[in-house]
Amino acid sequence: MLLIDKVARLWRKEHPVIQENHAYFSNFDQNKTLKEYDFIVFDTELTGLNSRKDEIVSIGAVRIKGLRIMLSQNFYVFVKPSGELPKDSTLIHRITPEQIKNAPSLEAVLEDFVRFCNGSLIVGHYIDLDMAFINKATRKLLGGTIANPCIDTLRLAQVFREEQWGNYYDQFNYNISFNLSDLAKEYNLPQMDQHDALQDAIQTAYLFLFLVRKLNRGGIKTLKDLYMAGRSWRWLF
Amino acid sequence: MRQQDKKDVHSVTPEVVIEFLKKTLPFNELDDEILERIAAECTVDFFPKGTTIFRQDETEVEYLYIIQKGGVKIYLKDEDGLITLKDFRGEGSYIGALPIIQGTRANLNVETVEDTFCFLMKKEIFLNLIQSNPRFAQYYLKSFSEKFLRTAYAELRQHRVAPRTEGTLYLFSVQVGDLIKRKLQTIPASATLQSAAAKMAEHHIGSLLVTDEEGEIVGIVTDKDLRTKVVAQGRSITEPVANIMVSPVEKIDAHKVCFDALLVMMSKKIHHLAVERQGRIVGVITSHDIMVLQGSSPLYLFREIVSQRKIEGLYSLSQKVPLIVRTLIEEGAKPNNITRMITILNDHILDRLLTLMQENLGPPPVPFCWLLMGSEGRKEQTFRTDQDNALMYQDPKGESQRRQAEEYFRTFGQEAIEHLVKCGYPRCPGDIMASNPKWCQPYSVWQNYFDDWILRPEPKQVLHATIFFDFRPGYGELNMGYQLREHLNKMTQRQEIFLLHLAKDCLESKPPLTFFKNFIVEKDGEHKNRLDIKTRGLVPFVDFARLMSLKYGIKETNTLGRLELLYEGEHISKELYIETVEAYEFQMQLRFVHQLQMMEAGKQPDNYIDPRELSDLEKQTLKEAFAVIGRLQAIIRDVFPMI
Repeated sequence: MLLIDKVARLWRKEHPVIQENHAYFSNFDQNKTLKEYDFIVFDTELTGLNSRKDEIVSIGAVRIKGLRIMLSQNFYVFVKPSGELPKDSTLIHRITPEQIKNAPSLEAVLEDFVRFCNGSLIVGHYIDLDMAFINKATRKLLGGTIANPCIDTLRLAQVFREEQWGNYYDQFNYNISFNLSDLAKEYNLPQMDQHDALQDAIQTAYLFLFLVRKLNRGGIKTLKDLYMAGRSWRWLF
Repeated sequence: MRQQDKKDVHSVTPEVVIEFLKKTLPFNELDDEILERIAAECTVDFFPKGTTIFRQDETEVEYLYIIQKGGVKIYLKDEDGLITLKDFRGEGSYIGALPIIQGTRANLNVETVEDTFCFLMKKEIFLNLIQSNPRFAQYYLKSFSEKFLRTAYAELRQHRVAPRTEGTLYLFSVQVGDLIKRKLQTIPASATLQSAAAKMAEHHIGSLLVTDEEGEIVGIVTDKDLRTKVVAQGRSITEPVANIMVSPVEKIDAHKVCFDALLVMMSKKIHHLAVERQGRIVGVITSHDIMVLQGSSPLYLFREIVSQRKIEGLYSLSQKVPLIVRTLIEEGAKPNNITRMITILNDHILDRLLTLMQENLGPPPVPFCWLLMGSEGRKEQTFRTDQDNALMYQDPKGESQRRQAEEYFRTFGQEAIEHLVKCGYPRCPGDIMASNPKWCQPYSVWQNYFDDWILRPEPKQVLHATIFFDFRPGYGELNMGYQLREHLNKMTQRQEIFLLHLAKDCLESKPPLTFFKNFIVEKDGEHKNRLDIKTRGLVPFVDFARLMSLKYGIKETNTLGRLELLYEGEHISKELYIETVEAYEFQMQLRFVHQLQMMEAGKQPDNYIDPRELSDLEKQTLKEAFAVIGRLQAIIRDVFPMI
């Protein structure tokens, strides 16, 4: 926990949903099999990549339970940013100012989103970015950050690729892409439309299922296994 | 509860499932509303390649698995651990329906052969759908293959051939027995011709069946007999009927459909058929009876052909042959019926042509036999097939007869081919035609050819085999052709090496599926992304039937005929026989419809089918058909274990 959060907790009351969130993860068992955990796979569409000044315009999330994607247990909202919707971002996510004119504010949906995530691990593709935006928002609006352990499918994909590297020199092939849709193509996954928060979340969920079953030749059983698989890769550098 | 409500506010129905189910049989039959409801209940699971999803007799099936991406194999394992591959299923297929419906554990083993994603539908939801949607239920409850084929055929007919006329199904639905309009009329063989004529006039009929003393039917007399044998020849009207009757009577079973009657009449050149029910003759039908049923019929064309007196007249008549195919497809003819009909008509054109040519050129110095090769030999011609023919004549005696025969038949062969080209049968690109001196030879040379191919098989020889070994005598001294076939059958059965070459060739073609994802299509050129249904799909069946027939001494050349004899001779199982026939016929049908569409669009018909233009059902059925190729190859490996 960042120092700023600790300080913040001293003088600012946390929202009950955040307290609930922290209570669950303060006592968290990593040794259960993956099937016993719930995962929330999520993706955000943003006005830009700078978490200091940019904002969330859409959140899409879907639940994985028993290592199956529960397609209907999803969370999908458009959010009206407080500032302008930059034109260049519209070009990427195709969300127009018109579409979000009547959308709720982030404040109105954030509590629901945190509640949706409570008790689950969080999965995302390059999840650090999305978490930076979410935590900035929860800190401001709910008085604290969320404590869900996060799993980055991008990192898993890198580990998987490293496992696949039979040839030493492949490591110097810099043309490889870890872009979500490129990975979906490469692994022959069912392909979703891009740049829609929910579709991207579902795509990430497919990628996650694929990777946890394929990594270590199917030898990943527990959350700890998954963590170790990720760590071994990091030691190489 | 409040929480629940709030969560629902932000959740949507997963489009991905709805979109997928809308394209998937039989879910595409469901209303949007129902589809949305069941889509919300579907979950996604992933099974890496090599995962066993169902274990025979063990797995409790809790879900219907619909394959979104990837593929599975389905197999049986008996007590001895012997594995029998039953099926492959790919995208859009499902597994688990049968055990759910029957309330049993998995009846087969299911293993993924690729990384596979499935939509899982709870069994309660699936059972509920079956109970509340009769059309949905029908899909699963009817026998799998039967249902598939029937619907696929119907779909082909309904959606792919735009109806031009109100399709009358008479030819293929009306049984011969139903055509009998009047009581059976007979006359004793000893009765006079005059009394026969009187009786025919009295009943306004064109034929009488003739009985012997015991009342057994021994022959038939028709008004044509009275014209040609009595009046024209000046016979006495007091002679007994027995003198002019045709005996024995050509018979047909009452349960046969009119189409079959038509075929018998056309191939025997007769107009009357006695109809037999349980071994007893119950009536007579005429070609006229069928003509009345059928507005414009192949029979009309047939009559025009056989009565043609000028070679030039045949040119335009032969062009009409493809036209009858549309009528036949509309009427629900199975492809084999269509090819048989085309074959009969083409045979008659050839018959007329060669007969008229002999009238012009004078009789041949020695008897000869016109040989039909390839698809003509197999009686599997479609709209326009290249000529594949040859000429074989009796071994001449002495040098002068040899030279005389050589000269006559060279001219004869060349002229015949010219006429056939004008009739619209394109030349054989490989020059396998009677105009080529190499393929216009006496019997002994032909016998040597075949011996050579069989005894010294080389790759080119094997290729020859595929064309030549399907030969059938088409005209002339047919017995000469049968004799050659007899000889050849004795030879091949003993020559394992030759058969091995053929077998190896059979195993080289790969079924046209890159495992479910796509059909193997042409990669470039004019036919890019299209499937050559002849080479990829049909040829393996033809090759299989030929190989096995040569191996087991079967003289038949027609592929379906060969398969039937192989089954009767217990060389292939009933199951495989039925599967093979269905798979073969479906592809033939697809090809016919494709070619018909091309012809009607004014294009030259070809064998390249665009898989994107096929409906889901057609694709699925075609995939099933291709899967049979693998099974045929397995049989070949079994029969020829040393390959």
